[in-house]
Amino acid sequence: MRGLDRLPTGRGNRALLVGLGCLLVGGLLALTPLRVQLPSALYVFVEVGIVFVIYGLLVLGLDVQYGHTGLVNFGHVVFFAVGAYATAMLSAQDTFAGVGLGYPWPIGVAAGVGAAAALGFLLSATSIRLRDDFLAIVTLATAEIFHSLFVNLEGLFGGNVGILGVPRPIASLVADGDTRLVATVFVLGGITLVTLALLTRLTAAPYGRVLRAIRADELVTRSLGKPTTTYKTQAFVYGAALAGLAGGLFALYNGAVAPGFFTIQVTVTVWIGMLLGGAANHRAVLAGLAIIMGLRLVSRFALTVTPISGDVFAAVRLVVVGLVLVAVVRYRPAGIWGNPRELGVDR
Amino acid sequence: MSRLTVDGLVVEFGGLRAIDDLSVSVESGELVGVMGPNGAGKSTFFNCVSGVLTPDSGSVVLDGTDVTGAPPERLARAGLVRTFQDTRELETMTVRENVRLAARDHPGERTVPALLGSDDARTTEDAVGERADELIDTFDLTHLADAYSGSLSGGQRKLLELARALMVDPDVLLLDEPFAGVNPSLTREIAEHIRALNEAGTTVVVIEHELETLTDLAERLIVLQQGTLLVEGEPDAVVADERVVDAYLGGGA
Repeated sequence: MRGLDRLPTGRGNRALLVGLGCLLVGGLLALTPLRVQLPSALYVFVEVGIVFVIYGLLVLGLDVQYGHTGLVNFGHVVFFAVGAYATAMLSAQDTFAGVGLGYPWPIGVAAGVGAAAALGFLLSATSIRLRDDFLAIVTLATAEIFHSLFVNLEGLFGGNVGILGVPRPIASLVADGDTRLVATVFVLGGITLVTLALLTRLTAAPYGRVLRAIRADELVTRSLGKPTTTYKTQAFVYGAALAGLAGGLFALYNGAVAPGFFTIQVTVTVWIGMLLGGAANHRAVLAGLAIIMGLRLVSRFALTVTPISGDVFAAVRLVVVGLVLVAVVRYRPAGIWGNPRELGVDR
Repeated sequence: MSRLTVDGLVVEFGGLRAIDDLSVSVESGELVGVMGPNGAGKSTFFNCVSGVLTPDSGSVVLDGTDVTGAPPERLARAGLVRTFQDTRELETMTVRENVRLAARDHPGERTVPALLGSDDARTTEDAVGERADELIDTFDLTHLADAYSGSLSGGQRKLLELARALMVDPDVLLLDEPFAGVNPSLTREIAEHIRALNEAGTTVVVIEHELETLTDLAERLIVLQQGTLLVEGEPDAVVADERVVDAYLGGGA
């Protein structure tokens, strides 16, 4: 059970190549008259795949914060939401409610990343020196505060309706629905893979060694001359910025943002994916996220063939997810592909 | 010039004065031993000097610069490194990583060179790796280089902690009970390392309970009792001092 079943981390060069390849394929589909036909049975897979690669950015960012540095962020969705809202508010044109400034979408995405990073920096400046559990509470509370603001400040954020009329760059290039979906999954998947490659380089470098040292024992790391507060702030801001990017991409894919997309459920899904796969291993957290999202997808099909009601089914699904988590915690506390020695759970 | 001076140091925990108006100084290139019964304030003294604790009053001066209350990372970068009494390895990292981490001014520890894999970062990492392997070899840990440090024995941890401290290339080294829980032959070995290091110019301050080891090793002893300086001087004189005998053997004063 050791060695073989570990996902190797590598230097990320292959992820970079595959990611650039995906971007190329997606670009070709979006920019040339090339068209693909998608069997209708595959629609749902591609749609869930798009959400998966967007959430992939979330789990990668969370893993830099928690898996590598040990920062407990229970409000990860807030950076996703802030990135999405900032992108939407800057780029939306005919918004039904709330602000829509109608700037070009790249400016929107840049603002989304910037806003999420700025919020991350603000939280770091106030709370990163606190003990782990306090940071967890601060992030959780921040997420709830922003959720309330999005719902209640209708003039600004459009309330429960959210902000409509966000430009959809890929949709505007490709009229054909099948090609549009496939191009989207390739472009967004490419971005996630390139991110994976960059993060792998970062954490394989001596930089990542400092982050892991902070997770292991911050005082010792400081006593060896490392400015740990700076590193923790950086790790937190990088994770927040990645979530902001994910939010911006989500807004541009979805064409609208609303509070319902940014519930605590997002944070929970990403955390479960990370812990299931194995924290501190970029590929493992993506694999864990794929498992948890795949489980949801499969259960959707299962619902159509079981004689029970949707409500009961939803409850059963939660029970199954819970049991899977309990089993992982009991038998593989470092996650399926996590390294128990590195995570300090081998005793 | 004195390398490290502590003047009028006071540290209180609640109502308890752990350090009570302590003034000592360590000259450049000295090898000083600090002893005293449990609760004498030895580790608290180290904690103040290494920036882990900020004293309630008094000052800590390193190479003529007032560093009272400076954070540990700043002191480490200024060349003052300490080890911990309860060995603190980064247990979730390998021996090799523990030692490499301690390298100073590594460009690979900054985001952009790390992302780009710059030549500077790579050549530094190669040099750091070589130096780390040398130190690991010096302390007989080569066969454990890839082991997680959480799996080391108590004595091996002491060795690793010393290797890691040396990787910082310190000018002043504070060792908190480097011999505690270490067998006699390893004790001699560690003492040899410390002596060699001191002869190469490093100023060393050692806390130790074991009288014999310390009197053999140190040029000068500082004896603390209840947070104050009891006696200081040459080892032979200090050990013969009646007050020290009383403090250690509990004889009537």
